[in-house]
Amino acid sequence: MKLRSLLLATAGAALLSATALSGVRAEGVTIDDIVKDQSTPADVVSYGIGPRGQRFSPLETLNKNNVKNLTPAWAFSFGGEKQRGQENQPLIKDGVMYVTGSYSRMWAVDAKTGDEIWQYDARLPEGILPCCDVINRGAAILGDKVYFVTLDAKIVALDAKTGKTIWRKKIGDYEAGYSATAAPLIVPSESHGPLIVTGNSGGEFGIVGEVQARNPDTGELVWTRPVIEGHMGTLNGKESTMTGTKNESWPGDMWKNGGGATWLGGTYDPDTKLIYMGTGNPAPWNSHLRPGDNKWTSSRIAIDPESGEIKWGFQTTPHDGWDFDGVNEFVSFDMQKDGQTVKAGATADRNGFFYVLDRTNGKFISATPFVKNITWAKGIDENGRPIYNDDNRPGDPAEAADGKKGKSIFAVPSFLGGKNWMPIAYSQKTSMFYVPSNEWGMDIWNEPVTYKKGAAYLGAGFTIKPIFDDHIGSLKAIDPATGEIKWEYKNKAPLWGGVLTTAGGLVFTGTPEGYLMAFDDETGDVLWKFNTGTGIVGSPVTWEQDGEQWVAVVAGWGGAVPLWGGEVAKAVKDINQGGTVWAFKLPKQMAAN
Amino acid sequence: MTGIDRRRLLFAPLAAMLAMAPATSVLARPLDDVVKAGRIVIFVYADNPPWSFMKDGEMTGIDVDIAREIARGLGVELELLVRQADENVDDDLRVNVWKGDIVARKAADIMLHVPYDRTLEVRAESLAILFNPYFGEEHAVLFDTARIPEVSTFGRFVTNPIGVELDSASDFFLSNAFRGQLQESIRRGRTLDAAFESFLAGNEAAYMGSLAQCQYLAFLARGRIETAIAQPPMPGIVRRQWPIGMAVKENSRDLGYAAGDVMTELKNSGRLDEIAEAYGVAFNPPHLE
Repeated sequence: MKLRSLLLATAGAALLSATALSGVRAEGVTIDDIVKDQSTPADVVSYGIGPRGQRFSPLETLNKNNVKNLTPAWAFSFGGEKQRGQENQPLIKDGVMYVTGSYSRMWAVDAKTGDEIWQYDARLPEGILPCCDVINRGAAILGDKVYFVTLDAKIVALDAKTGKTIWRKKIGDYEAGYSATAAPLIVPSESHGPLIVTGNSGGEFGIVGEVQARNPDTGELVWTRPVIEGHMGTLNGKESTMTGTKNESWPGDMWKNGGGATWLGGTYDPDTKLIYMGTGNPAPWNSHLRPGDNKWTSSRIAIDPESGEIKWGFQTTPHDGWDFDGVNEFVSFDMQKDGQTVKAGATADRNGFFYVLDRTNGKFISATPFVKNITWAKGIDENGRPIYNDDNRPGDPAEAADGKKGKSIFAVPSFLGGKNWMPIAYSQKTSMFYVPSNEWGMDIWNEPVTYKKGAAYLGAGFTIKPIFDDHIGSLKAIDPATGEIKWEYKNKAPLWGGVLTTAGGLVFTGTPEGYLMAFDDETGDVLWKFNTGTGIVGSPVTWEQDGEQWVAVVAGWGGAVPLWGGEVAKAVKDINQGGTVWAFKLPKQMAAN
Repeated sequence: MTGIDRRRLLFAPLAAMLAMAPATSVLARPLDDVVKAGRIVIFVYADNPPWSFMKDGEMTGIDVDIAREIARGLGVELELLVRQADENVDDDLRVNVWKGDIVARKAADIMLHVPYDRTLEVRAESLAILFNPYFGEEHAVLFDTARIPEVSTFGRFVTNPIGVELDSASDFFLSNAFRGQLQESIRRGRTLDAAFESFLAGNEAAYMGSLAQCQYLAFLARGRIETAIAQPPMPGIVRRQWPIGMAVKENSRDLGYAAGDVMTELKNSGRLDEIAEAYGVAFNPPHLE
């Protein structure tokens, strides 16, 4: 009862302000709430705590001195048998937590008590084969609806109060290998009102990365933007413009199936009014078959939400041959350098380099390694282009046609990346980035024979190997102005969860060993940890509720790491699966300590 | 053909490993369980004409007909498990006979259309057993004789477009062949059907795929396009020909024997020739090294 009246009361207030502002939203979350999410600590209404994706909270109640008193308040089990792969970030609005789970499920939970309000289970068709576990990364919220994507490549809008379906639209054809796992992004636009923006994901072959923008009320497409040169975009149901120039950086008809899946979704910067998306690796995997830069694969692209046009692109790994699937999030921040404020953006790429770009035009500013012993490139030149180490490009399988196993090369990082999907955080307090990275490499060789769909061809084999005996995971604090690594925390198992940082001087992240950990943002000292009982691969959030600061994370081991064997498997073999939201708070009486 | 002897020979080297393998499975089942349930689950690939494909809302094709015969031979009902091919057969074996898929944890009792190859068998690490090769596959080119007089070498396709299924073995060969000189001529169909349709529409005067695919495409083109099949030299190709067989999970050896006996009967009785012929394909006995 109390909850309901609270919801109604807030809705009433929102109704007035929303009508006054735009005349569009009747209740609930407004586009303004989303754009200003970072400065309203009583809620978390966007993936990344604000559309820039900084994952920084201005809350100071919880700090270095009192974090030792952070106490579990409630835990919520997802139940059932589907206990694996919880890679998501919860949203919190008006005392309700909206949290997604693996196998395309979502819950609304009372954020104060952990009591379930509703559960939604997508009915998944038989025959979907998601490549990299059954995960989902989170929801979006606007007005009276919550949104998420499902493993069968659909986007669903649910009634935030009841969990009932309002609309459901197809992003791609799951039968053709498309899937979807990222949290949708909601952005403002002058021409169309708010837009809900998604990328796509899918298997290695035959797909083309695309960004889609929809009307959040109806789910109808407003524009689409394929990321591979030669493909046509659409705007308001009509063809708009071609992406790039056909065949400029692709041979023959390979652009038609060039890859570049936008599987991690994107970020948005209210200053530049641009959407930033990462694009995945090119297809086919064997780079010797596709001479050229293969644009825009393994890139960051900036898209104008009004038209769906690409304003700029920056390719981190041109002619990718290592599966450095460069989808990594691009985080906007203002950088102080040489006494000036630079409108910058940063991204920690799968290829092991930390890039800083001018976010207004995509101009390269700097790139520095954030993992050790990188072998594939000697460095990044002054234009942002890798200086390749050609001896460490995986060989052409055709050269192994004599029936022998080909030459093996050792490439660092491994194809799972210096950093994979897990989001970084930027602290406005320390002006540092906190990057969950992994120190590993891979042996790649040509297999004398592989079969696909019953037919013989040449393929590649690989094994991922740790570089150091005592750790793979490494949380690093990086100064974006210099690229200097200020501190590092080493973790035995690979890190696979997101990071959160706060004005209270804390950095939070979870480990596969099951610990949610709080670090000193300046020294990397561990100030607090709590064992959630299963590996953490989700992203923590913090918010204020009844005058107390809360922290929540979803625990539940899974994701791509446990799907791969070899040496890495040894570091994670004793980790158990799960699916639980853990909520912590700093009780009022302990805040002073 | 001495199918039974062949089968024993194939299984023999695995016996030692099988003895050590734990007999715990909830997915693929031994013969007794299948017979008791009155139902067998057989895997065939989606979109793989002429072997297994959807036509008028129903699965059809040579492998589908074989699956029906196996079920009939064992006196049980047939349930087809139809899925897309993964990136390689190792993955297909894992998903379709060994571990099941990641969402529904479902696997088949028998998988059809598995290459019979020792390297593959070694990689499968005795988790899946390959047995009873039933058909020979080989690479070939189908061409429109009104537009191309002959195909004695692939040099013909430096300038003439050639259709192929995206990321198939033939695509791989053409992409690599002659240091990439055919790159600009390759027209890749997203699916086999798309590649077939493109040839039938006259977009390309040639298609490269397996011999069975070429024969089936010629069958579809009958009365519209005069075709011929060629097998020019294929320098650098990994296998010119390879046998196709079945696979079961390591604990289902006896089911493999029983299905193998049915298959041997299909071959000996000429039923396999009839099945293939219905799709314009000539039965091609597997050539074993």
